[in-house]
Amino acid sequence: MQANPFRPFRRWLRPYRRQVILGLLLLFAAQCIQTVLPLLLKQAIDDASGTTAAGSGVLTIQLQWLRDISDPIEVYAGIIAGLAVIGWAVNFGMRWYFTSLSRYVEGDIRSAYVEHLVRLPLRFFHERRVGDLMSRAINDVEAIQRFLHHAFRMTLTGLLTFFLSLTLMCLIDWKLALLSLAPMPVMVLATNAVAGRVRDGYRLVQEQFATMSSRIQENLSGMRVVKANALESRQINGFEELNDQYVERNRKLVVVRSLFYPFASFLNGTSMVVVLWLGGLRVIDESLSLGAFVAFNAYLIRMSRPLMMLGRMVDEFQRSIASLARIEAVIDHPPEDRGSGADRCITGEIELRDVSFTFPGDDTPVLDRISLRIPAGDTLAIVGRVGSGKSTLARLLPRLLEPTTGEVLVDGTPVQQMPLATLRSAIGYVPQDSFLFSETIRENLSIGLDGVSDSPSSRPEPVEWAAGISQLAGDLEDFPAGYETMVGERGVTLSGGQKQRAALARAVIREPRILILDDALASVDTHTEERILKSLREIMKARTTIVIAHRLSTVRDADRIILLNDGHITESGTHDELVAKGGRYADMYRRQNLTQELGDL
Amino acid sequence: MTSSMAQEESTPLGRGLDLRVLARLLRYLLPYAPWVGLTLLFILIGSLARQAGPLITKFAVDDHFRPGIVDGFDTLVYIYLGLLILQFALGYCESWATNMVGQWAMRDVRMQMFRHLQRLPLRFFDHTPIGRLMARNTSDVDALNELFTDGLVALVSDVVTIVTILSLIFYMDVRMGLLTAVCLPVSFAATVWLQRVTYGSYQEARTRFASFASSLQEAISGMEVVQLFGSEDRRSRSFAHSNERYLEARLLASRYHSAYFPSMEMWGGLLLALTLWYGTGQISKQEMEWGVLVAMLQYVPRFFMPLRDIAERYATVQTAMASAERIFELVETEPEATGSHRPPQQVQGRIEFRSVSFTYGDTHGDDAEWILRDVSFTVEPGQSLAIVGATGAGKSTVVSLLCRFYEVQKGAVLVDGVDVKDWDARDLRRRIGLVQQDVFLFAGTIGENISLGDPELSREHLEAAARHTNADRFIRPLPKGYDQPVGERGVSLSAGQRQLLSFARVLAANPEILVLDEATANIDTETEMWIQDAVGRLMQQRTSLVIAHRLSTVRTADTILVLHHGEVREMGPHDALLAKRGLYYRLHQLQYGEGKSA
Repeated sequence: MQANPFRPFRRWLRPYRRQVILGLLLLFAAQCIQTVLPLLLKQAIDDASGTTAAGSGVLTIQLQWLRDISDPIEVYAGIIAGLAVIGWAVNFGMRWYFTSLSRYVEGDIRSAYVEHLVRLPLRFFHERRVGDLMSRAINDVEAIQRFLHHAFRMTLTGLLTFFLSLTLMCLIDWKLALLSLAPMPVMVLATNAVAGRVRDGYRLVQEQFATMSSRIQENLSGMRVVKANALESRQINGFEELNDQYVERNRKLVVVRSLFYPFASFLNGTSMVVVLWLGGLRVIDESLSLGAFVAFNAYLIRMSRPLMMLGRMVDEFQRSIASLARIEAVIDHPPEDRGSGADRCITGEIELRDVSFTFPGDDTPVLDRISLRIPAGDTLAIVGRVGSGKSTLARLLPRLLEPTTGEVLVDGTPVQQMPLATLRSAIGYVPQDSFLFSETIRENLSIGLDGVSDSPSSRPEPVEWAAGISQLAGDLEDFPAGYETMVGERGVTLSGGQKQRAALARAVIREPRILILDDALASVDTHTEERILKSLREIMKARTTIVIAHRLSTVRDADRIILLNDGHITESGTHDELVAKGGRYADMYRRQNLTQELGDL
Repeated sequence: MTSSMAQEESTPLGRGLDLRVLARLLRYLLPYAPWVGLTLLFILIGSLARQAGPLITKFAVDDHFRPGIVDGFDTLVYIYLGLLILQFALGYCESWATNMVGQWAMRDVRMQMFRHLQRLPLRFFDHTPIGRLMARNTSDVDALNELFTDGLVALVSDVVTIVTILSLIFYMDVRMGLLTAVCLPVSFAATVWLQRVTYGSYQEARTRFASFASSLQEAISGMEVVQLFGSEDRRSRSFAHSNERYLEARLLASRYHSAYFPSMEMWGGLLLALTLWYGTGQISKQEMEWGVLVAMLQYVPRFFMPLRDIAERYATVQTAMASAERIFELVETEPEATGSHRPPQQVQGRIEFRSVSFTYGDTHGDDAEWILRDVSFTVEPGQSLAIVGATGAGKSTVVSLLCRFYEVQKGAVLVDGVDVKDWDARDLRRRIGLVQQDVFLFAGTIGENISLGDPELSREHLEAAARHTNADRFIRPLPKGYDQPVGERGVSLSAGQRQLLSFARVLAANPEILVLDEATANIDTETEMWIQDAVGRLMQQRTSLVIAHRLSTVRTADTILVLHHGEVREMGPHDALLAKRGLYYRLHQLQYGEGKSA
């Protein structure tokens, strides 16, 4: 354990310094009340039994004046009862402070985590699994909360109880106190000895659990193969073996771990035996009062719990430290470079200079020294096979990807040299998979208005307008809730085409200087597509458009079409030029016509 | 995955202690009844031994301290020490036994689920995310384990402790016993109150948390959109908001908890005061011995600890109930229907589709989307049939129906004249060697992936199969050859190599029927050659049904079936179909380009 176990949490606890201090004060008060109770018992019993023995004089509370007015026992009982009620209030306050503290910190950490997460570069997300990031936001934050709420309080309570009780026991009779606590060091040593083996055992169990889980996962994802080859019984046998191994490893752990509590309570018991035996003998020869004997027993009982929990607390502490480290690894990850330079108006001229892109850890470049210029207001279409680099090229513009070498320029300025917000607010991007949020359609569409500083137009109903452009409005009329229809698991399931049109509307609503359609109309039928393209042409007249498509009908009206092949531009020109050229584009065109015919048969 | 989990979490978490669910859970303990009985015995004796301490103190005070007699005092000390050792031994055995019974029962639960999963139809897996099934196997089983090892046993132990202490107090002083007993309904009422007031806010907190988690999950998956549209601020604001709402609900429950738990200590303190006052009063009237008071003063704080803990156990039980219901739901899912026809030793391999119509969706209503419509064909034993058609024509569905992955809605699929419904499903599939487009590899070695764990397959046979299908050519150069691990942590194989491997897989199993869904992925020319060669050999002397993409495969097939929009449009040998200049002709042109068609 570190010198100051709360050091890692300081950053998060600082705003709640007052709560922490108040909580600690109440905790201290609560423990004082707890510790004073056995002392009161001692006095009461000594008073009643008339065995005020030597050695306890220091602690004899002078209540002479009370004795004069009433029966001392009634006074003691009254004080104990009173303290019980006060103790409840103090404990209530203390628990409440710590619980709310832990919840506030939980909220703060989670908010900070999420707030930072949205500002991280996309690369960060490509390298990590969603499940991992989720588990940090959920399990790790919860581990910290549990620690602050429970372990934090329990550890302090335990330590205070221990030392206060020890002090008072020593004050009553230091020799008996030390003798009765002689087994304690044994406990600490034994705990340490066992803890290592338990930790190893846990690790082995965890590993086996992971193996078992991935076997289940494999079985489930390969179920078709399992069935096709009638492998069910073999799979069952294989799993059974892993399952048995898991139980076996657990057994080895249980053998050691089961020692823990029984041994702790055994040692605590030996303390009681010492008090019974040595203390008892001294009560008999009247060198110890009966009350002191009772008080000793009461203190030992109090000390047993924190000692038994010590191991668990250390464990929870370590876990929360690890959790905090996992969260801070994300929070301390440098956020996305927001670009530099002054905010400006973008007209939409695009240029790629010698741009190459290679995915990290890959050898072959996806884009290989591409140079390209699109005058503002023009439409460029990109066609090519799957994996030819079309999407990669488009993703360089809003800096979803950064080129490995070369430069991407907008309006003659490298994109890195303008504020990211400015760049992105000028771009309307319709990605390949039209990702929609589980919100209403209106909310999904108005996402497009986010990040656009001043509303691009004074249209009274931009959502309805954009839905009209993308031919979504008609579909929405069929939904009872219209624009307020919820999308996703808890709402309606939109068809692929509807999703794509919604994603298009989301981009169109920004009235961007640059519109990028990344194979965005693939699931829309040709008839609707035609209508969409027609209305788009109206509003995109003076705006730059990049269209990626497989369907050549989508691209035939572009100012220029380029054909990408393995990261190179192999053909370039207008539709008619390319068809006339009789190259790959012309071949694609011929096949598509054939397919079209086939489909109509 | 988490979103589906989160969604489920938001459904009401059981209705507290459902006795029927509990009874069903206890059935898992039945095989270990002797151990459970022994554990209960350990708990009983153990807690008796644990509570004997104050009683011994009573005798020490009354028989030795007060009268000042040393004689025989050491016997009491020895008894105390003896009880301590007994307690230790019992405590250890109890912990061991409860943990192991829990482990054994969980092993059985996991086995039952795994077994059942193997019997479920593919349709089930089409609709159920793997993440959800994984959660059944991990977090839900964990919750049950917690219930068995911690919840139930601790509950029993708490109750036994309470009863023991109460009886001991009664034994020593009836009136004191009655007084203590009064605390039981009081604390019980407090516990019920706590459950009542916190239940709603717990539910609320869980629902709110679930929605927080699923929207976070969504934002992470859709981070690109968030950032593209500059929605970072809006998203994090909305998270901060839902986070706050969750905490609010949580804090409401926490307030009650903060009041409840110390209240048990308060009752303890009050009872202690009462005991002290009453006890000393009785003693002064000579109606009670000092020892009784001393023992009582020790029992009172012990009495409230288990009372307080019971409230905590309740939460464990609740979580477990919800998990148990989900597990039961899974193991009760209707398994795949299967017939019982077991074929004679030798299957001929005759395939017949008789007016088969099929849809993955609902057959009711007019808008049923039929994937196959009235499809009929026959493949005689040893013959080959190539199915061609555009994407979405229903080719893969034909394969799925032959393997009886799904049941047809109209018509029948017959193998050797017997409806596949009547076949023993596993036996049928053993007769069919299926090669899919993307070959699934299990974690393990190449050899294991060929034999698929068949213990009766000799190494020679396995290697022969690999040689015969040209898989040997890429396997042998690998550093460890057939013992080379594949999959996540092993070598990655190219699409072509995977195909070859799965050919070897089929040949090793030597089925009567070959079903091949040719890969369309890019395969280098050399591998392509080997594949063509292997396909030829595989099709020899086997009834073959091939979803063909290769010209060579189509041309050598005895019959070609042209599937279009789920209907059989043309059927016949290659040349005849080409001459017809119909659908096949065009498809052929489209797929193999001009000039190569002749």
